[in-house]
Amino acid sequence: MSSRILPDFDLLLPKSLAEAVELLATHGQRITVMAGGTDVLVAMKFTQSPEYVMSLDGIPGLGYVVFDAAKGLRIGAKATIADLLAQPEVKQHYPALWHAAEIFATGQVRNTATVLGNLLRASPAGDCSCAIYAIGGKLILQRTDGRREVDIDDFWLSYGVTAREPDELAIELVLPPPAIGARSAFKRMTRTNDDLSKLNVAVQLEMLGNTCVEARFAMGCVAPTPLRLRNTEALLKGREITAELLARLVESVPSEISPIDDKRSTAEYRRQVSGVLLKRAIEEACSAA
Amino acid sequence: MKDAAITLHINGEEHKLNVAVNRTLLEVLRDQLGMTETKYGCGTGECGACTVLVDDRAINSCLALAATMDGKRITTAAGFAHFGELNHIQQAFNDEAAIQCGYCTPGMIVKTASLLAKNPDPTEHEIRHALEGNICRCTGYEKIVKAVQKAARTAPGRTVKADAACQEVAQ
Repeated sequence: MSSRILPDFDLLLPKSLAEAVELLATHGQRITVMAGGTDVLVAMKFTQSPEYVMSLDGIPGLGYVVFDAAKGLRIGAKATIADLLAQPEVKQHYPALWHAAEIFATGQVRNTATVLGNLLRASPAGDCSCAIYAIGGKLILQRTDGRREVDIDDFWLSYGVTAREPDELAIELVLPPPAIGARSAFKRMTRTNDDLSKLNVAVQLEMLGNTCVEARFAMGCVAPTPLRLRNTEALLKGREITAELLARLVESVPSEISPIDDKRSTAEYRRQVSGVLLKRAIEEACSAA
Repeated sequence: MKDAAITLHINGEEHKLNVAVNRTLLEVLRDQLGMTETKYGCGTGECGACTVLVDDRAINSCLALAATMDGKRITTAAGFAHFGELNHIQQAFNDEAAIQCGYCTPGMIVKTASLLAKNPDPTEHEIRHALEGNICRCTGYEKIVKAVQKAARTAPGRTVKADAACQEVAQ
């Protein structure tokens, strides 16, 4: 059993973005970056023992959530889940993300945990990760000699591993502006309300009347990383949503996922309910228009 | 750095401290300052026993590094009492016997204060949603919800909704 006491480490408290990326350039791999700390500190109480922890606490100006109808939603590295919920445009234009944020962990954790931290944790169960994957977007990564963008589709490489290099700092997430006819929804199953999901799903649809022009489905807890259900998306794209088609989507999902048995659920159960949960999310997205 | 010199404003009093950087806010409150009203439950941000307000936001103090709290305003459950007099939230928990073993109570009181500051007249659903991160291992939730409702009714400067209050008395 763990003592649940933090191991020894050196704390780095940069006062600017420039100083932070300089530290990453120097120490890279030896630094664990911490924003809210609700994941990092728990990991350190149990298993991880980094040499350096770099807190973003002292860096000004990264706590923003800004919506622009033409440019989309920009979320800074220090914006908490609660900061996201405080922005009415998130509820209006990105309902899947808003819902994922609303049921995210507990009030105390929502006040501390950051949206970007949820992506960087690269857990297959992240609720905001699932919603953001369906919506699409890009991460902005900064290092001393410039910055680059990584599409969310290319961000998660394997369990706990992202495309961020050790000398890069994830400073912002940008979600695309809402398309005309865009609908989204998020659904999940848990044992208790504040527990991690045993299965979560998010859908983003672009509708023209009853016809689905574009579709992105993301599912969590069914693979080493959050998963796009690309084959199932293809079944829906360009077609009218009917009960028959929805039944075919339900059938398609289990063949795309590779769930495991763990303490929250079983592979068999996840396979059985995955299609149904996707169907309910599509129905919810359509009815919320 | 391995140590940090910080200033915390806890329950209206300034504390200048030297803290090891691997100490949580909870450990500093309890072990370094002897303020044991804030409880250690799970240590992983699930039970809410260690809830405190940091600049009016309720957080789990077991998942906050004290070294990153320099200059912050911290309120613990004891901070609501005024010269030994219980405030309306503490009194309501007492009156409704919303205390069994009492271990979760300080966290419940702090979270209730943060709820009522934002929403002075919460519905039962809103109360339960607000307290989702506070676990009562005795499972005495009914009385806790009643205590929060009473705290809302008895908040200083609040005019009681006569009908609602009478109905609850009748029950």
